Amino acid sequence: MLYLHLHQPWRLARFRFLDLGSGKPYFDVDRNLSIFKGIAQRSYRPALDRLQQALEEFPEFRFSLSVTGTFFEQARLAAPDVIDRLRSLYRTGRVAFLAETYYHSLAFLLPPPELSEEVALHREMLDKEFGAKAKALRMTELAYSDDLARFAEAERFRGMLAEGWEGALHGQPATYPYCAAPAPTVALLLRHYPLSDDVGFRFSSTGWSEFPLTADKYARWLAATPGEVVGLFMDFETFGEHHQARTGILEFLSALPGEVHRHPHLGWATVEEAMEIPPRASLSVPYTMSWADQNRDLGAWLGNDLQRSAFEAAKKVGVLARRAQDPAILTDWRRLLTSDHFYYMYVSGHGADQGVHEYFSSYESPYDAYANYMNALTDLRRRALDRLGVPILK
Amino acid sequence: MDSAPSRRPLSTAHGARPLPAPFGGAPRPLHVLIVGWEFPPSHTGGLGVHCFELCQELTRLGHRVTFLSPTGGPFTPVAGVTFRHPGEKTGGRAPEFPPAYWAGGTADSPFTDSTDGYNSWVSELKTTDPFDVIHVHDWFGTVGAIALARRLHVPLIMTVHSTEYDRSLGHPWDHILHREELGIQAATRVIAVSRHLRQQLIDRYRAKPSKVRVIYNAVRPSERLERIDPEKRIVLYVGRLAMMKGVDTFLRAAAQVVPSFADVLFVIAGEGPEYERLIQLAAKLGIGDRVMFLGKVSEEEREVLLAGASVFVLPSVVEPFGIAALEAMAAGVPTIVSKTSGVAEMSQGTVFKVDFWDVNEFASRISELLEYPTLRATMGDQGRWAALREGWPERARETLFVYLDAMRAAGVRP
Repeated sequence: MLYLHLHQPWRLARFRFLDLGSGKPYFDVDRNLSIFKGIAQRSYRPALDRLQQALEEFPEFRFSLSVTGTFFEQARLAAPDVIDRLRSLYRTGRVAFLAETYYHSLAFLLPPPELSEEVALHREMLDKEFGAKAKALRMTELAYSDDLARFAEAERFRGMLAEGWEGALHGQPATYPYCAAPAPTVALLLRHYPLSDDVGFRFSSTGWSEFPLTADKYARWLAATPGEVVGLFMDFETFGEHHQARTGILEFLSALPGEVHRHPHLGWATVEEAMEIPPRASLSVPYTMSWADQNRDLGAWLGNDLQRSAFEAAKKVGVLARRAQDPAILTDWRRLLTSDHFYYMYVSGHGADQGVHEYFSSYESPYDAYANYMNALTDLRRRALDRLGVPILK
Repeated sequence: MDSAPSRRPLSTAHGARPLPAPFGGAPRPLHVLIVGWEFPPSHTGGLGVHCFELCQELTRLGHRVTFLSPTGGPFTPVAGVTFRHPGEKTGGRAPEFPPAYWAGGTADSPFTDSTDGYNSWVSELKTTDPFDVIHVHDWFGTVGAIALARRLHVPLIMTVHSTEYDRSLGHPWDHILHREELGIQAATRVIAVSRHLRQQLIDRYRAKPSKVRVIYNAVRPSERLERIDPEKRIVLYVGRLAMMKGVDTFLRAAAQVVPSFADVLFVIAGEGPEYERLIQLAAKLGIGDRVMFLGKVSEEEREVLLAGASVFVLPSVVEPFGIAALEAMAAGVPTIVSKTSGVAEMSQGTVFKVDFWDVNEFASRISELLEYPTLRATMGDQGRWAALREGWPERARETLFVYLDAMRAAGVRP
């Protein structure tokens, strides 16, 4: 089961404290689009083309995708052909789209109905742009908890994705479908993180004992993995961006369906198909789990004081932004809830994950990220108050 | 620089703290001759502090230091350091010298005469001590140090703390420039206090890249005062009031911050040739009541200021290192520095870096730190960690390795 995630955030422009009240836009559209164009060239186009070819060549090959709303907005402006490619994949009938929050946001930590509205926005987009009706839900950064399972049930989803993390599995293997303990109609499909990270993180590390990883070797590992379903979940940019084309990652992607085909007991499934396999057991996850960092918690987004303070501030501004009844204010606020903004504020200095964070950051330091974010949020707060006719007190 | 071998713990009984390796990794105690200029308690820049700390750490490792000074002191005593100066034998007073960094003077001014006097005394130094290396700091004593190194057949090391190009904002005095060039060319190894400065030595002074090392300054973890919460929030500058320090940018930024914060005070501690002009500028900007000029402050006063400051700003146009900013970081004060400063290189992303000409950005960064308490607290904590992660002991070991390297390069067996 291959599932690839397509997302780009609306990164902020440098919004100085002195820019408060100036009407300067928060998001640097040109910079975001130029980043998008670069990644489209290196990753989206070539990898989508290879997936299309693989679908044509191997009738059993199938996979799943998720496309965030902010990705879609940028693709429409920067590289509409990427959307055409996605549509063409979907038309084969062997690609499933997953639902999530439109803004790739931390809305699941906000009081209702924010989460439900953002998921509805995303479902609308999938329906309108691809004619797709998503049956499965994935939450931002693969966040999962019992509460989210209940939410999925209430929203009539058939299943959710989660990290196959030992802490939640209590000795059971990650390679079986499960169901959510508090909502048994919700199927749970788990990420096999060692095999996913072999491709996602380790593929191009020359210091890795298994380097170089070939499709043939990888297919043998898959064949030797006991269980019913192996969840290979990763960022789409794995192919061509995190690992550049010269590492041979695109050839790996092309060759994989054929190599898997050589093992008669292996097959491919979309998330929606895998959800129909009867669950092995029910799982209870009373806390929120994610796919990031060593701890698989929300530490990457809300682990330090800066992040928590920014998120608390965003929550408060949200009350005003929702009440202001102004679509521009609401959209700006929701774009500020995108998880990436909080990720940029990660401070470790010593930990193993700092390198990963710096790679993904668009700032020089977490302090730059925080100050800039808080300025934009403060400005938004003033706009909302202004709109509500409340005099602004400093 | 990798100082791992010297940090290897010696075998210790009963879990006692491992002793430092004897001589900091050198095979035997060395005798170092430092051709200096200023030394505590009277010093005006980073050079004096640097020499003092170096003397302390080298002697602590079991080495001997002889420190040459143009003046007769007073010198803060350091065990194992011998101080020598012109006029020492006759018992007469050493000539008075103006402070090291004041700009000005011409080739025939008293300032140059006095450095000439110092240099000729250095070159003719009467000594029977078997020095292993001669280490000269900045341009003041280069001529004498070169002659002495040749006479005694000892390798010469030069530390450049700042260059005449920088001090003069691009209008160097030729005779000073010339002495810098002489030193940089003649030295077996050259130490720069930042990567930025190292590059300048290579580009402007044609120093051979292979002989220039970078050794940063450090700060001593002081008996830090508890943070004070003063009545007004304080944005602090500590340093000389010279053109290259960009204090006018600080004032222009202050003028932009003041309207948003009713309770903020900008404090400027230090003296220098720009003093009067800056006071006039503050008045002209209409912020005379929000800026305090303290003049020169003592070390104790500076510590109190740092303990109470909300933000520290180092707006220098040119700043080879910027030890004042490192001291602020060590005191837990969130710090803003100009991008070109040496301290920006070693701050591990825990300071805000701003282009020295960007008044708006300085104003915004100051405002952000005043406005967001979580930012202030986190940056303060992380900055302290970054500033104290390594100290003078590490710097002295790095310097010692340069000595050993210079001795090998000069064909002397350490």
